[in-house]
Amino acid sequence: MNSVKKKNKSATVAMVVLFTCLAILIIMPIYVLFIASFKPGGDLLQYGLNLELNLDRWSLDNYRLLFFGKHDYWTWFMNSIGLTVITVIATLLVSAFVGYGFAAYEFKGRNFLFVIVLIILSIPLEVVMLPLYKQMSVWHMMDSYGAIVLPFMAHASTIFFFRQYLLGIPKSLLEAGRIDGATEYGIFFRLIMPIMKPAFAAMAILNGMNAWNNYLWPLLVVRSADKYTLTIGLNTLINPYGDNYSLLIVGSFFSIIPIFVLFICFQKYFIEGMTAGAVKG
Amino acid sequence: MKKKVLATLLSVAMAATLLVGCGSSSDTASESGEAATESAGPGAAGTTEMEVEGDDVTTLNVWTFIELHQQFYTDMAEKWNAENPDKKVKLVLSNMAYDDMHNKLSLSLESGEGAPDIVDIELGKFPAFMTGEIGLRDLTDVIDPYRENIVQSRLDIYGKDGKEYGLPTHVGATVAFYNTEALEAAGVDYTTIKTWDDFKAAGVKYYEATGKTFACVETTAQWMINLMLAQKGGDYLDADGNLAVNNDTMVEVLQYIKEMQDTGAFATVPGGQPDNEEAYPNYNSGDYAVQIMPFWQTSRFTNYMTDLKGKVAIAAPPVFDTTDGEYQSIGGGGTGTAIIASSPNADLAAEVMAYIKLSETANEEVWNVLGFDPVNTAVWSDTALTENADNQFVQYFVNPPFEALNEIKDNIGTLNFYTDEKAPSINNEFCNVTLNNIFENGMDVKEALDESQATLENEFQ
Amino acid sequence: MKKFFYSQKIAPYVFVLPFVLTVLLFWIAPISNGVLLSFQDVLKDQWVGTKNYTRLLSDKIFLKAILNSLKYMIGTLVLLIPFPMLFASLLNSKLMVKANFFKSVYFLPALTSVVVVGTIFRLMFGEASASFANQVMEALGQSPIKWLKGVGTSYIILLLIACWRWTGVNILYFLAGLQSIPTELYEAASIDGASKWQQFKNISMPLVKPTTVYVLTISIYAGLSMFLESYMIFKGNNSPNNIGLTIVGYLYRQGIEKRAMGYACAVGIVLLLSVMIVNLVQLKLTGTFDKEEK
Repeated sequence: MNSVKKKNKSATVAMVVLFTCLAILIIMPIYVLFIASFKPGGDLLQYGLNLELNLDRWSLDNYRLLFFGKHDYWTWFMNSIGLTVITVIATLLVSAFVGYGFAAYEFKGRNFLFVIVLIILSIPLEVVMLPLYKQMSVWHMMDSYGAIVLPFMAHASTIFFFRQYLLGIPKSLLEAGRIDGATEYGIFFRLIMPIMKPAFAAMAILNGMNAWNNYLWPLLVVRSADKYTLTIGLNTLINPYGDNYSLLIVGSFFSIIPIFVLFICFQKYFIEGMTAGAVKG
Repeated sequence: MKKKVLATLLSVAMAATLLVGCGSSSDTASESGEAATESAGPGAAGTTEMEVEGDDVTTLNVWTFIELHQQFYTDMAEKWNAENPDKKVKLVLSNMAYDDMHNKLSLSLESGEGAPDIVDIELGKFPAFMTGEIGLRDLTDVIDPYRENIVQSRLDIYGKDGKEYGLPTHVGATVAFYNTEALEAAGVDYTTIKTWDDFKAAGVKYYEATGKTFACVETTAQWMINLMLAQKGGDYLDADGNLAVNNDTMVEVLQYIKEMQDTGAFATVPGGQPDNEEAYPNYNSGDYAVQIMPFWQTSRFTNYMTDLKGKVAIAAPPVFDTTDGEYQSIGGGGTGTAIIASSPNADLAAEVMAYIKLSETANEEVWNVLGFDPVNTAVWSDTALTENADNQFVQYFVNPPFEALNEIKDNIGTLNFYTDEKAPSINNEFCNVTLNNIFENGMDVKEALDESQATLENEFQ
Repeated sequence: MKKFFYSQKIAPYVFVLPFVLTVLLFWIAPISNGVLLSFQDVLKDQWVGTKNYTRLLSDKIFLKAILNSLKYMIGTLVLLIPFPMLFASLLNSKLMVKANFFKSVYFLPALTSVVVVGTIFRLMFGEASASFANQVMEALGQSPIKWLKGVGTSYIILLLIACWRWTGVNILYFLAGLQSIPTELYEAASIDGASKWQQFKNISMPLVKPTTVYVLTISIYAGLSMFLESYMIFKGNNSPNNIGLTIVGYLYRQGIEKRAMGYACAVGIVLLLSVMIVNLVQLKLTGTFDKEEK
């Protein structure tokens, strides 16, 4: 018995060592970025990113530039926050509405429509990107956030998640609502939405993450510089004709922070949101 | 729990520093010490908006891809406003990444929406906007008042069928920039370099003395290649304008450069060419000594290679044969400022920009502020300007910058392919595939050119 | 009218209406439009028949893009399915301590934007001898490498980015799958004398199959449509010798950069078909269809 315990203990140690090494590798790039945010931007061009600490060259200049310098970083930052909030609210409301329709009712064409949800789940957006782009410009929706939000409000994977979540809701609850005189929509807004909070949280995080990091489609849609999002703005700093690496690095590091804070506060939901599709699917 | 996670994260980070950081910190520390590029970073990326007083002010949107131009445009626009109080303008300038800006421009011209009023288009991309229905305003009328002073060939490169669509900024005469300090230490006298053979021999001598690279072979641009090609009377196209990148002259030129590379004294540079953010530090630190670049590289020296102040001389570039009257230089690169035809303020924008870029004041300022070789060559011989002791460029370089320019002034060539609509694709192929195959992967010159010819033919079929 | 709108028969259709509209306006319309455009020369505004497709067949650059995308997809499948599965079962083991902490740490990379990640990796794998990767090479006694100019090395960097970003996420997927397996099964096997490895092979692997299929599907999707990672590490859509060019990169190059919209749409249709075919084959091979029929 004793030897089994010993063996188990050494297995535990081995695993902890393995996973710690893995954790160090995972943290490394973010850490390298973190220390680079204290170095002069010119160093990056010359040496690339590295683990060099060289404390006597450290300074808060980059942070001073970020907070007090003359640049558009905070415009981009606020745009990204605004766009992310709008996207999350719109996507959650619309997708929950649709997901409930799939979960709560038996109706003709339901299976057919649901198969379409599944198909769209596996089509890359890039396939429709160009024709969609053309269409948007015909509809005069270029350079508006509407073109970024509207096409993805009824978001296939979010609908799928809500539908799975709502399948578990007892039909008796709906019947009770009907007997109380609530309309079909009243049931959804008054009875169902309140109990969907955990699902909303999970999807808010997932969609928020995607919206915050979204790049290609907004890049095509947005024209005016005052509508740039953070990812687009940061990318304009990577320009051979400007000396913007100080801002690029400190700005990149800072762009991770909001989502990190959210993650640390709502870890449970993050993980739930990410794994929802995998098991039940 | 949350605090715990944070604390552990931090400690993991600290542990990682201790484990890996210490080991490697010593060797690079000294390097970064001596080659410190103290760039506090202006960080003025993005939008700049002019402040203009008065009620009747027209707002004009300008797209640029070179930040340095923004300041120049606003300064000149202020002069315009002072001289033309009845036609005041307010420029709103957006700076974007090179590729993104040109892509966005072509997309918005196509959809007829979201385009600015004024845009800087790079020479290499210009022909792409000369196909199909041209969305740019013909500028011939606004150029006319300034025409007599301007190098016609720089107007021609932004033109089609006798119409002119772009306002040039500079001539961009290709010259040689020598790091005199490094060369002298190795016993190389740059003033004796007249031909490419001299150039190559000087390189070998320098390399043997120092073990450092003399000059780079280009993989992401064709400054030196185009110069050599023009000197040999070659081009990327045949006499009828057909695609012929694998022509004999081209083979000869690239073969010559390849032989330079084989000596060891010439090598590729990070970033692939001297005008690149990754390359500047290599010149700044003296790891590479010489650049064959258009004259506008002056501004890169003063901005990004600050350690070389007082060490760099500008000279006429080498030629193949000093006796056959071949071109001494070639205009390289450039930005044609264009006006979007559909803009409601196109006429005013055209008039203002012609003033901003072509007036006499403009040409003087192009030199004073940007350090470029202006298209009004009268400025070139005005020593009050070109040898002004307060000018930062005069202060930076060892010899008067215009000395070399005046030497080559009447012998600046061009290539027909500059204005050909195939140019963007050809440039693309050369900078990504052809030159890389030859100078990075050691592929045979002829073979690499044949392959690219085939690729391009498939594209243009 | 109001009654009709509120009736239990009509309500479900109202509920799914936003989705139906989205599909019609933002998927079916653009896809059909894309098909139509792929038979046109959009700049010249004329029909060209199958010319765009025949040109695709003889286009060596496009072939290269397809091979690059396939190569990338296969690399990610090989690295991002077995290892995360193994790590997940280790983390799921009763012997493991602090599993939640590690789970959280591994998830962090998924939160960062590719724009930021690509820049970090580009600069870590810079050509300079002082870049992170070349410092590692130096520590190993090797000379500096031009990481982003070689076929092999740039492939490694792209895979590293993929592993860095997705290992943690895939671990979470597999953990969720593993946790749905009843513990009695393992107990019974252990009484029968099965080793840990045998338990992993005979219980865990078969029973997490739905998860595996899910991860496989999204990995194929993500692998074949990769673009931004390459775009960021090469500072644009152009890479030396097109070593970083992917199908979507080619679509972007033709459609946006060269304004050959019709040709680009043909590329898009090929991408659509290849994702669908690969996924169908995959679902067939893994037997997912058979199960659905039951």
